[in-house]
Amino acid sequence: MTQQKQFNKAVGNASEINELLRRYGVKFGIYKDGVFNEQFFPFDPIPRVISAEDFQSMEKGLVQRVNALNEFLFDIYHEKKIVRDGIIPEDFIYISKGYLAECEGITPKNKVYSHISGIDLVQAKDGEWYILEDNLRIPSGASYPLIARELTRIAAPQAFSENHIVDNRGYAELLKETMEYSNCGGIRAILTPGRYNAAYFEHSYLAEHTGSVLVQNDELFVEDNILYQRTYSGSKTRIGVLYRRIADEYLDPLTFLPESLIGIPNLMEAYRSGNVGIVNAPGNGVADDKGIYYFVPKMIKYYLGEEPILKNAPTYLPFYDEDMKYVMDNLEKLVIKDVAEAGGYGVVFGSDLTKEKLEEFRKTIIAEPRRFIAQEVIDFLDLPILDNGETVMRKADLRAFVLSGEKTKVWASGLTRFSRNPDSFVVNSSQGGGFKDTWVLSR
Amino acid sequence: MKRVNFYYSTKLTFDDYVHNHSFALRIMPPETDTQHILSCSLNISPFVPTQQTVDAFGNNVTAGYMRDDHRFLDYEIKGSAEVDHTKHRLDLLPCYFYQSQYTKPDDGLRSFYDSIKGKCTGTASDKAEYFCNILSDTIEYKKGFTDTTTTAAQAFALNKGVCQDFSHILISLLRMDGIAARYIAGLAFCDGETHSWVEYWTGDHWEGIDPANNCPVSDDYLVISQGRDFRDCAIDRGVMFGKYTKQLQLVRSVLT
Repeated sequence: MTQQKQFNKAVGNASEINELLRRYGVKFGIYKDGVFNEQFFPFDPIPRVISAEDFQSMEKGLVQRVNALNEFLFDIYHEKKIVRDGIIPEDFIYISKGYLAECEGITPKNKVYSHISGIDLVQAKDGEWYILEDNLRIPSGASYPLIARELTRIAAPQAFSENHIVDNRGYAELLKETMEYSNCGGIRAILTPGRYNAAYFEHSYLAEHTGSVLVQNDELFVEDNILYQRTYSGSKTRIGVLYRRIADEYLDPLTFLPESLIGIPNLMEAYRSGNVGIVNAPGNGVADDKGIYYFVPKMIKYYLGEEPILKNAPTYLPFYDEDMKYVMDNLEKLVIKDVAEAGGYGVVFGSDLTKEKLEEFRKTIIAEPRRFIAQEVIDFLDLPILDNGETVMRKADLRAFVLSGEKTKVWASGLTRFSRNPDSFVVNSSQGGGFKDTWVLSR
Repeated sequence: MKRVNFYYSTKLTFDDYVHNHSFALRIMPPETDTQHILSCSLNISPFVPTQQTVDAFGNNVTAGYMRDDHRFLDYEIKGSAEVDHTKHRLDLLPCYFYQSQYTKPDDGLRSFYDSIKGKCTGTASDKAEYFCNILSDTIEYKKGFTDTTTTAAQAFALNKGVCQDFSHILISLLRMDGIAARYIAGLAFCDGETHSWVEYWTGDHWEGIDPANNCPVSDDYLVISQGRDFRDCAIDRGVMFGKYTKQLQLVRSVLT
């Protein structure tokens, strides 16, 4: 089997590739107990391979999902038809921390809200793909497979000449196109909070590869409702689209958190006036809330009149009496997620809890039904990874990147993250996981 | 219907030079169903170009940026308007049904609500009046104990406060009762400062009530801004750089 041979060739170069990654500074930052550490994101050389056929149907499903989510965001910040028509209970929208009343009535250029969507999927043992969650705020991770591919091509060029793998190096071009579609007249810029951010490596990498300037807030200002970059010579350059890598609440101290020191005063006025595009749009958090996730298949039917192509993991909302009963009866076999948490925090497996803890947790859920969702534990397909020279099987997911410009496009690659702990289902990089390259075959 | 003249000014003085000063003022009264603005002029000194937008809550926002060193920022509005509270405003947003940063109750305020909620049934107006009566018996109008960062729960625990605190507590109670309510900043009772009151949703329109004075809102009230709570209505917000340690703010307002 040629494919297996190629993997082995790549495998043979694992330490070399990890060494190159180190040299290139491919890191991510992590905070624990208030201390900032930079870690290497361990790369596993055995790629995940997705067949052309499998990718095609996944692609259709992802485009459909992201289009519906964009329609939803426009609706929520304008007419709210989906609430009025009783498809989504209004509490799920307006109690969500991601809903920002300050964004009411704002229409971003070309009605694109989620320019870059990171959709997390898992493949079950029967081969079916399930959506785990949508990330529509500032999903990170695209740069890791990009640079890993670059380095693997250097270390094992035969793997790419002998297999029909879709080239993933077009991501930067795709991102640039997406940014240009929301450009309101000016240069492209990527706003980073600085080098102590978990994804600083990625910010600089993407700026370099999309021909955007990498900026911090202290060189930006809004004058006459136009966003400018101050240059050292004292002149100013207009920014037409800002790919910001800071959270909504910190974006503009005159609209959101007044204590924010990383934001740009009056950015929201420039944005509201249509003078600058913000990628992704502020207020998107209302659509990737874990509580809203349950309703995405309903959104697809409501806005597009189509049947959802990709399935959600079976999910229960304790908010509904019927679901509450099921959750109470089956807590020990479900996974419970706190809707307010992200990055793998606030995820509890019922099977890990003692009898007393289960009882306690039941009470917590009854007290705050809106705070939790419960899901069936999906029997993930394990992927092979290399552990000290041995191949072992581990849980893995896939973050697919969907970009919405003039058309919605799925990047033919993605970030495959795996858990290094054999007993864990949690693959988030902030929880100590690693990553693989994702090969989409062209035939 | 009543014709009113309004004037409002703020003098902001710093004890050292500041620069790169961005500001957003919510100071120009909006044109609404209950108030028709006949004239309104805004003067800002030192001269700085400004831009006007309307925010999510319907407020006029004046934004500006002063790069050069300066030690003061003065602004004033003056104009006239026709106010008519026999007409009704209808601009409802769902967020007004939900507690916000300043109005979120704590256990104390929640149990206070629980202790009074059974005693009043009837329309939203009946409840708003009832809550207002109770507040004027419970909370003492007193300056100097609260500031612009005080929440409804904190002011309630102190049992003291000014118009802003009365408004926040009333909004919190109304929202606990499932009645949409919003915070209003405006001019009334020409006491030299800005005033604050509350609007609640009757089921088909907004109605004003003044909890600090325990009275309904008349044509002697001019709305300057509105929102979920004080945060959305701050007359000025600004960010600047410099070594200043103190700023002095002088406010004067007149409504005749």
